[in-house]
Amino acid sequence: MADPVTSSAHLQLLSDLTPPSLERTWLTAPHPRLPIVATCSSDKTVRVYSLTNFRLLSTIVGGHKRSVRTAAWKPHAQGESVLATGSFDATAGIWRRWDSYGQATDGWGLGQRDQATNNHDRAESEADEQDILRRDASNAAEDDDDEWRFAVLLDGHDSEVKSVAWSPSGMLLATCSRDKSIWIWEDLDDGDNNFETVAVMQEHEGDVKCVSWHPVEECLASASYDDTIRIWREDLDDWGQVACLRGHAGTVWFVDWEAVDNVPAGLVEETEKEAWREAGQRALSGPRLVSCSDDRTVRVWRRQPKEQAPVAGTAMPSIIRPTGMDETWEEEAVLPAVHDLAVYAVAWSKTGLLASVGADGRIVLYEERLVDVASPQPMDTEPPSSAPAVARTEWVILAALTGAHGIYEINHAAWAKRADRGRDESKEEEVLITTADDGSVKVWTVER
Amino acid sequence: MDPAMQNSNPTILNVADLPTRLHPASSRKSGTYRDGILALTLSSLADPTDLALSPYESEESDGDAGLMEEPIDEQEIYDLVSTISDPEHPISLGALAVVSLPDICIRPTLPEVPSSLLRTVTVLITPTITHCSLATVIGLGVRVRLEQSLPPRFRMDVRIKEGTHSTADEVNKQLADKERVAAALENGTLMGVIAKMLETCQ
Repeated sequence: MADPVTSSAHLQLLSDLTPPSLERTWLTAPHPRLPIVATCSSDKTVRVYSLTNFRLLSTIVGGHKRSVRTAAWKPHAQGESVLATGSFDATAGIWRRWDSYGQATDGWGLGQRDQATNNHDRAESEADEQDILRRDASNAAEDDDDEWRFAVLLDGHDSEVKSVAWSPSGMLLATCSRDKSIWIWEDLDDGDNNFETVAVMQEHEGDVKCVSWHPVEECLASASYDDTIRIWREDLDDWGQVACLRGHAGTVWFVDWEAVDNVPAGLVEETEKEAWREAGQRALSGPRLVSCSDDRTVRVWRRQPKEQAPVAGTAMPSIIRPTGMDETWEEEAVLPAVHDLAVYAVAWSKTGLLASVGADGRIVLYEERLVDVASPQPMDTEPPSSAPAVARTEWVILAALTGAHGIYEINHAAWAKRADRGRDESKEEEVLITTADDGSVKVWTVER
Repeated sequence: MDPAMQNSNPTILNVADLPTRLHPASSRKSGTYRDGILALTLSSLADPTDLALSPYESEESDGDAGLMEEPIDEQEIYDLVSTISDPEHPISLGALAVVSLPDICIRPTLPEVPSSLLRTVTVLITPTITHCSLATVIGLGVRVRLEQSLPPRFRMDVRIKEGTHSTADEVNKQLADKERVAAALENGTLMGVIAKMLETCQ
């Protein structure tokens, strides 16, 4: 597509995920470790596909009475995969499956099988109303290990669950709903599938459309129908709002975080990267947020540099800190406008690219570049503490593809590690996965 | 009907005076709603007439659409939605002038991409009274009717006509929210009301 500024970079279709859902698909969640993804469909099921051969591995059915809107994989689950789902039926579901997925040669250990049976019984007694463990109709020919166990149903929201997200440690699950609330659940990991409600936050004034955790801290961002983004942290056992980000002129559909060690394109040497981070006090402001909205814009937000950012895992705040928990966030950039209709999702890749998708059927790729790369500032002098010189960057459109899913709206985009045979093993390649209204899910590479 | 009726004495137009092409034309879209709400995507996907016309689309890039190239026009949209019944009167939205032909327009969704097949259908709704709490339901009925009848290359833009309703912004935001509309389609009670409104559509 036409953007005069930039290169010949483009999106190359690698494959469709097949067979697709015949109804609208909302979101595709890549697994944190395995080359698989989970696609949520209006047909009340979740389809699990391989990123190695792009084929359907299994279909998770029976847990939800209405559309499955969202799903997220629990990080750091040992020896098994744990999937949280959120549905228009106002519940969130937890599903488990022992690993060895899609690898027919890997049999199950006997011990694992025993455990699986136990969990099976427990789940059945706990949720007798649910149509649990209904076998996938298509797996008659498959091995027995193609088995998703419905573990527990998290009940509490008053209306449709719109988004679910696991904290980086996997200890906490956040869910949000049209009922304007965000719930935080703690996975007690006690073998009994018990979840405890840690907090219910009700500050939003409209549907909460999306929740997303900071990549390393126990800090949550939420996006809402009330046009705001809010940031939440725990302060002495109490979860509360620490910032409210205003700027969008319509429903904020999605938020995503930058990777912790991200730097703009063009910085190759480690010394250059370090200089950039220091110049902008990046360590003190932490990773940025990106958001997208019904107002057709994509925006990047940055926290004002702040001393004593809590460290991963040990987020015990200091009670003597005078400013309390409040954070000041500012809008750092509005990305170049391309979308003609609502932007439903935006995703920040590990290598710093942004991808946005929306109702206009477009996929847009953006790259951040230093404005003045030619004259790097020597960093041997200390930056003035009062007004730190922030290295200026700009976002450019790398590629824009119209009609990426034909005439259909695109509901979601996510980056994942490339896993098919065509990958270049010498480097860690990423693929973009887009999910559309007709049920199609497409996997793209970025060709430069 | 209902003692709590909001507007018990609405102005009603003579149906015979309303613009329509329904009678001479074949009703090729008829009855799609009977297949059920969730069949809407499939039924529109299966519409062969729409896809067959696509080769002509690129030729109308100069905005000079002839009859052959653009079979779905404002009159057809009007015929689709004017026969919907008002939720509290057994009268059509056309006869109540809740929808009217001049308040319907079809335009390219991506004007700078001439080859794009996407079209945005805008239908402005004029509630019979400015505080009508049923405005959202009427809007949803219009949107559902269009989604069921039109091919998926159409984007629906159903809004309250400016200055005709006290909480128009609120209603418009809700009608434009794809996720809320999708969830409403799975709400049995609400869809019962909508189905009743659509019963009178040909």
